[in-house]
Amino acid sequence: MALIVAVSLLWSWMLRRRVARRTWEMQRELGERQQVEAALRESEVRFRDVTEAASDWIWEMDENLRFTYLSERFYALTGIAPQHVLGRARWELAIIESAADRQKWRQHRQMLEKRLPFRDFVYRTGIGNRHGVDRYLKVSGKPIHDDQGRFFGYRGTGTDITEQVKAEAALRESEVRLRRIIDLVPHMIFAKDRHGRFLLANQATAAAYGLTVQELVNHSQRMVHGIDEEAERMLADDREVIESGASKQIAEESFTDHTGHIRTLQTIKIPFSEPGLSETAVLGVSIDITEQKQAKEEVARMRLYLKNIIDSMPSVLIGVDPWGYITVLNQPAEQACGASWETAQGRFFGELFPQLESQFDQIRQAIRLGHPIKTPLMTLENQGELHYADVMVYPLIADSAGGAVIRMDDVTARVRIESMMVQTEKMLSVGGLAAGMAHEINNPLGAILQGSQNILRRIDPAMPQNCAAAAAIGIDLGRLNRYLEQRRILHFLEGIREAGARAAKIVADMLSFSRRSESRFAPVNVEDLLETVLRLAASDYDLKKKYDFKRITIQRDFDSHLCMVHCDKTEIEQVLLNLLKNAAQAMAECGASSPTILLRTRYEPQYVLIEVVDNGPGMDEKTLKRIFEPFFTTKEVGAGTGLGLSVSYFIVTEQHRGRLSVTSKPGQGACFSIRLPLGREALP
Amino acid sequence: MTGWVLIVDDEEMIRENLKAYLEDEGLWVAAFEAVTPALNWLMDGGYCRVCIMDMRLPDMDGNTAIRILHRLYPEMKFLIHTGSSSYSLPDDLRAMGLDDACVYQKPLGDMAPLAAVARTLALRENRL
Repeated sequence: MALIVAVSLLWSWMLRRRVARRTWEMQRELGERQQVEAALRESEVRFRDVTEAASDWIWEMDENLRFTYLSERFYALTGIAPQHVLGRARWELAIIESAADRQKWRQHRQMLEKRLPFRDFVYRTGIGNRHGVDRYLKVSGKPIHDDQGRFFGYRGTGTDITEQVKAEAALRESEVRLRRIIDLVPHMIFAKDRHGRFLLANQATAAAYGLTVQELVNHSQRMVHGIDEEAERMLADDREVIESGASKQIAEESFTDHTGHIRTLQTIKIPFSEPGLSETAVLGVSIDITEQKQAKEEVARMRLYLKNIIDSMPSVLIGVDPWGYITVLNQPAEQACGASWETAQGRFFGELFPQLESQFDQIRQAIRLGHPIKTPLMTLENQGELHYADVMVYPLIADSAGGAVIRMDDVTARVRIESMMVQTEKMLSVGGLAAGMAHEINNPLGAILQGSQNILRRIDPAMPQNCAAAAAIGIDLGRLNRYLEQRRILHFLEGIREAGARAAKIVADMLSFSRRSESRFAPVNVEDLLETVLRLAASDYDLKKKYDFKRITIQRDFDSHLCMVHCDKTEIEQVLLNLLKNAAQAMAECGASSPTILLRTRYEPQYVLIEVVDNGPGMDEKTLKRIFEPFFTTKEVGAGTGLGLSVSYFIVTEQHRGRLSVTSKPGQGACFSIRLPLGREALP
Repeated sequence: MTGWVLIVDDEEMIRENLKAYLEDEGLWVAAFEAVTPALNWLMDGGYCRVCIMDMRLPDMDGNTAIRILHRLYPEMKFLIHTGSSSYSLPDDLRAMGLDDACVYQKPLGDMAPLAAVARTLALRENRL
């Protein structure tokens, strides 16, 4: 018993001891555990703090790959309520649209099935989202195993990269848009580094080199540009911009494109730096102004062409706006007003063309009515000379600025020619009439002239036959003669003879108005001709007796280059003699103190010019106008037939196809100009 | 039979005046108003060395008359006295030896030059 007690006691002691030990152990264990638990609690708090503060969340999946845990950050970051996610697989949450998406997910699920870790898997989800916007999530994860190495899920982190994806997409989109824009621009846009390497080029730039953008970028201009000088010049500009840091504007530069066409470019280059670039580059835009330049040149050419055309017109052309201010002058107009187009522009036309100021009403009327208004044969005073002009005001019909063109043609020459033609016609009709009458008149004139000559001869006592006949009938011829003289019978007879002679002269002059053959045309030395005429004049009865030809000083001014002219010598002699006679007569009449006749010859491009200049009384406008008219005379009755100058005119103009003109003013002498054509072909 | 001048002119006063002047110069003159009577006179034995011929005549024109007379009397010389301003010598008459100097335009203000020529021709030595 004792033993039992002892054993019992021992057992009990041992048991107690054991309990005590266990209790201590347990107490110690408990203490340790409390410590661990505290540490664990602390760690959990830290962990929670970390996870809740981080931009990532923590997730866990079970062995069936279904979400079992999401840290609180998940909702905060994505706006997706965890109850939409927990208990579901990731692919059940994803938006899978494209083939690429499907491929991505297939690979991902294969990895998961193989229990492999993964990093940075990005997917899109649209589920249960607070913002109603799809979210892009990036996740990484590791498989979890227990102590025995049994797989019981995945744990990992996730982050919401929606904003980042969106920003990248936006950036990409903006780049594409920018690309589209620069490719759409027809101008060349490019960037080059300091070595001439293209960093950027739009389609237009690449096309100019016959390349694609990809082919051009990263290549040096030296390699792609066909013309070395052009490339070097452009690269020099690039370097200048890079080095100076200032932009450069190139108004015009030539550029030979890949087809060999030379284009004209207008270029702006600016220094260009970007975060990705190590050194400054140049950014440029070139505008192709080839066509613009051509168009500009074409406009200039056309303007010059039209200016030449209007300048080539003999008419005076004045362009005016509706208010009469000058817009255009052609060359004849510039000459007429003595001002250039530039200086005349914008001035009132009446200021420069006072003689046309009266046309202002016509301008307004022409513009209003829309059709031209003509003023024929306007008389204009030009430096004391009377001129005739046809004036036409032509309205300009234009979209914007209307106006009118005043066209003025000086028709003075035409008016004169017309009046001369009338004169010539008059002379020809006189000639025709004379030719018809000549025979009928010449016979009776012959009877008068020959009869009076015979009468005078047969009463002349000096003639023996007369004396014999008189003696036979017992008349003293000497006494008869005295009787005839006393009764002025001889004087009357002489009058009959002279009157007959004058009538004969008139008929002969009139006859010279008919056209004759030019069989008598021959080359004649002009100087010899003039000397002959002077000799004839010196022996001419009228000149010698009436006009004292010897008193007249003859001056000679002969052109030494001149020699032969093709003419009818006797007729031109007649013309010149007639002119000398008129001059002598005029000078004698006015009693000129030192009468002088100047004979001048000149060589002109198509004519031989012979001038007879006197210092007589000259003529007024009225006389000048009619001087070549048949039967016009200023001389007293009986002194001339009134045909001399018209015959001369006829001989020169009609028979020699030359010109006879006169210039004179009262008191300033007269100058008669004979122009005989040089070439034979100019003759009829 | 030298010193004879034949005048053919239908204008009486012209004819008579020329005749008077030439006679005063000591020449013999036969004057007719037409060609036919002149030819008759020549046929009847009239003879002359020079003829002053008008152009417009009643029976034929002067050129024809000259051709006839020249054939009949080759030694006869001709002077033409015409009122027509447009007269020009036909080529066959020129071939007979006539030239522009033989043509006298009416009216003659002075008969002396014509008379002098006529006289020279009328009184020339007959070389035939």
